[in-house]
Amino acid sequence: MSTNTNTTHPIFSSYERKEGFFDEIFDEKGNPKEIYKKLFEIYGGHSIEDFINLNNKARASFFNQGITFQVYGDNQVKEKIFPFDLFPRIIHPSEWEIIEKGAIQRSKALNLFLHDIYHDKKIIKQGIVPAEMISSSENYLHQMMDLDPPGGIYNHVSGTDLIKHSDGKYYVLEDNIRCPSGVSYVVCNRTALKRALFGVFNHYKAHTVTNYAENLLEMMESVKPHGVDIPNCVVLTPGIYNSAYYEHSYLAKAMGVELVEGRDLFVENNFVYMKTITGPERVDVIYRRIDDQFIDPFEFKSDSSLGVPGLFSVYKQGNVCLVNAPGTGVADDKAIYTYMPDIIKYYLDEEPILNNVHTYHCSRPDELKYVLENIDKLVVKPVDEAGGYGVTIGNRLTKEEIKNVQEQIKASPRKYIAQPIMSLSLHATYIDDSKSFEPRHIDLRTFTLLGKDTEFVLKGGLTRVALQKGNLIVNSSQGGGSKDTWVLKK
Amino acid sequence: MNLEYTVRYHARNQYETLVKSAVWQFLIQPENNDNQTVLDAHFSSSVDGRVDPTINGLGFEAIRYSVDIPFNEINFEASYKVIKEPINPFDLLHQERKKDMEVFNTLKFKADFEPYLRVTPLTQISDKSTFTFNAETSTFNQLQELNSWVYNYIEFQAGVTSVQTTASKVLSLGRGVCQDFTHLFCAICRANGIPSRYVSGYLHQGLGYSGDAQLHAWAESYLPKVGWVGFDPTNNLLTNQDHIKICHGKDYQDCAPLKGVIYAVGNGNNSTEHTVQVSAQQ
Amino acid sequence: MLARVANNLFWMGRYIERSEHTARYLNVNYFSSLDAPNEVSQSRQFVLRSMLNMVGDPVSNPNTHLDEKEVLHNISLNQNNYYSIIASVKHARENANSARDLISTELYEAINKSYHFVLNYPSDFLTEKGLYDFTVNINEMMAVLKTKIKGTLLQDEIYAIIMMGVTLERAIQIIRIINAKYDDALEAKDEHSAVTNSFEWITLLKCAESYDMMRRHYKKTPNNINTLEFLILNPNCPRSVMNSLNELYHHIQLLDQNKYHNKDSTSFLVGKIRAEYEFKVIEEISDQLKDFVENILNQLISISTKMENEYFNY
Repeated sequence: MSTNTNTTHPIFSSYERKEGFFDEIFDEKGNPKEIYKKLFEIYGGHSIEDFINLNNKARASFFNQGITFQVYGDNQVKEKIFPFDLFPRIIHPSEWEIIEKGAIQRSKALNLFLHDIYHDKKIIKQGIVPAEMISSSENYLHQMMDLDPPGGIYNHVSGTDLIKHSDGKYYVLEDNIRCPSGVSYVVCNRTALKRALFGVFNHYKAHTVTNYAENLLEMMESVKPHGVDIPNCVVLTPGIYNSAYYEHSYLAKAMGVELVEGRDLFVENNFVYMKTITGPERVDVIYRRIDDQFIDPFEFKSDSSLGVPGLFSVYKQGNVCLVNAPGTGVADDKAIYTYMPDIIKYYLDEEPILNNVHTYHCSRPDELKYVLENIDKLVVKPVDEAGGYGVTIGNRLTKEEIKNVQEQIKASPRKYIAQPIMSLSLHATYIDDSKSFEPRHIDLRTFTLLGKDTEFVLKGGLTRVALQKGNLIVNSSQGGGSKDTWVLKK
Repeated sequence: MNLEYTVRYHARNQYETLVKSAVWQFLIQPENNDNQTVLDAHFSSSVDGRVDPTINGLGFEAIRYSVDIPFNEINFEASYKVIKEPINPFDLLHQERKKDMEVFNTLKFKADFEPYLRVTPLTQISDKSTFTFNAETSTFNQLQELNSWVYNYIEFQAGVTSVQTTASKVLSLGRGVCQDFTHLFCAICRANGIPSRYVSGYLHQGLGYSGDAQLHAWAESYLPKVGWVGFDPTNNLLTNQDHIKICHGKDYQDCAPLKGVIYAVGNGNNSTEHTVQVSAQQ
Repeated sequence: MLARVANNLFWMGRYIERSEHTARYLNVNYFSSLDAPNEVSQSRQFVLRSMLNMVGDPVSNPNTHLDEKEVLHNISLNQNNYYSIIASVKHARENANSARDLISTELYEAINKSYHFVLNYPSDFLTEKGLYDFTVNINEMMAVLKTKIKGTLLQDEIYAIIMMGVTLERAIQIIRIINAKYDDALEAKDEHSAVTNSFEWITLLKCAESYDMMRRHYKKTPNNINTLEFLILNPNCPRSVMNSLNELYHHIQLLDQNKYHNKDSTSFLVGKIRAEYEFKVIEEISDQLKDFVENILNQLISISTKMENEYFNY
């Protein structure tokens, strides 16, 4: 069932609200919610032609700035931009307060968890997290055992992916603590919206997002190696062909530090140096945007030419700081996610502020019973498979298929977990084909920085949009776009 | 009685295309431990470069060597004087199998020994029933049986396997060299919950043992109340004064003696030859 | 500044300059030949050979028949050809990409725009009727880039390195053009004309965009002596080798601030070569032009190699 909105303006005429999903813009009666009223009024004053025009301008601005990613086609490399949407997402200060506190809580808990599993492993010895979470993880690095990273920080930069479910509450879907990307788009989206529709900012007091780089630099300086006065910080990129290269160069430029590749660095006398036109210059803190396996061919993948031979041994001796620490990947595995509420309680003695999607462990008899009776309402996942293999989504299964899944689970209940099907909220998004705003599913990635005695959450974030109708996958590789995200001041 | 050994390591690397610069990491220096002491260490190369002593990610002493002048061939020589004290594993206290198993099954033990219980790609076996442990005789005795079993199961033959050959493959091939014996030994122990690690080292020559003109490999298994005990399945021996240890790890990957990063003009083949000489004087 | 990035910026400068000279050479030779006074100079085969000679891919067999469309496509839009204009523009952009945190947004966006222009230029159109449009556009875009370099960058070591690339490449390209046109002049001479006052000297001046200024300076018809003197030794002609050497010397001073030069430094080498040409007379050159060409190219390449060792290769 769907109802049209009350608005009479043509650009919203094809906006159909969908039952069963949380609509960010309209209430049940189809009226714009309080926080969007003013925006609605302003946008309603524009014609369709205005929007087509503005949309094209925003696109050209991204293209000329070279904010593009590469798509490898038949025999040519094509450049594409990430689609940008003109309708901003607005987050109320009271709502944001919860998100911010929750994101910091998760980051801190994950940091303590990482320290523990690379030292005493108390949480495993006490049976709170199963030993298999470590022993079956390829991201658990034995080189990190008993190593104390400068400042005691592992996950300096965390990206938390949140959605708003049909119950109107935020849920965390994923914690990204390897090399979360996307923060440069937060800044670009703001710039693009300002250029296109600067008038709207007169009616809302949104927090700035351009302070990310200065906070990132401050955080990096806080985790400098012992004995260093003013640390030399750099950004380490895999190079210009990497899809996130724009972001790497943006961050280096905005922080005013060098953007280096592996071949610009070398190790001597257990320090890291970069090769400059006037000779070697010592490097103290490296924000590396290269995956663990590629940072040092002597320690990890030996055929990697992206990294620096000997880098890890310098890190081990405390003479350089790597941001994020190697081996953080073990804590953002899907399996660890299901233990996040326990992890938060164990280390912080606090209740989780942000909701986890509830997880049923089929190894527990009463939960198994519930799962078997409700397969049509659940997503069933194998515990030890990565990358979405063997996942079934209940409401898309035939009766026969449901039976099969039940049999599979009964055969080896320990192997499966189940979660309710999450419904991503809807937001007004400008659609080229219909030349009007239509509802599309969105999520939110927040960016949290953790330094020695410092913490920071970027007031804003990346709202990703699934541009295809009905699609729930917001990934950029799946044709997703993004929106400027405003966190309003109190 | 203490024995004094002289270990000579020689590596010769040849490259088809001109190498402009290169950096290597050597994991060839005997470690200092309870029963071996390194007295004297010497390292040299045929091409001028920079020697950087360092500690690798797993905590072992390594040597980094970098060269910035072009070359096609490079030779490395290292020599070490090592004192070995005698060991007799039969003197050690061995407890009942049941008690061992109780310890093996605790969460604390599994967490502490996780690296050496982990199934790595090289120590994976599909068929775990090849050698079975029972609940009666002591773990130590059964490990000795396993040592003989592996020794008899694999026919020593060079050139049929590589350092990337998995234990699974060795099981089906039935042939191989010291790495393969060791990987299979570790794989079976780990599948049965006994922590076991891969050891890289040198073996005293002239006694007719297998694998002595090259770097050698053997295994160490952990026994509660005793500690790590060395087994050399290639020679059906318990490790003794003739085994000079360099380092240990989960498998060969953690112990590779030589890793290099070469910046060359164009692509070409390269070859590496290692030779090892160990001699004793009393 | 990172040594690798410095190297990239040096080459960005070189590729920008190279694109301009290749484009102009195509334009001038093609359109001058249409109404050239003698048969050889008017021949299309002769012109195509000259183009290939200049870009460094000469055809040795005199009987080879060249296909006009193919040659024009190869020199302008064939991505797989190292000397094509598209390859140069692409390399310029790639080098800029790896240093985009160091250069101005306007400069980067202008390079990006040039790249998209070349990439989207239809080859069929170019070889049939777009040669003039394409080459003129390239010349203008490269001029814009050099204005952005001079007008928007901090005039520090980054600027000096880019300008070293631009001026070194200019000197090299001018020599290559002189060499190619000298060969043309030898081939085009017949019983009615001597090498000394060939039509090809006028084309040569046009290829260096120096014809009008040369006429103003000498008030004479171009011949071998005054043309070479103008393009090699006149310090006021912005395209001359002497002018480039002066510029190189100026920019290397920005990089190397030592009061006394180390005799192994780039700065010393540039100064030495510059001093040699400052007091040369054209008669020393014109008699043995081929030797001069070989010698000066080697000297320019030795500057590039020296820079590489001193600044780009730690």
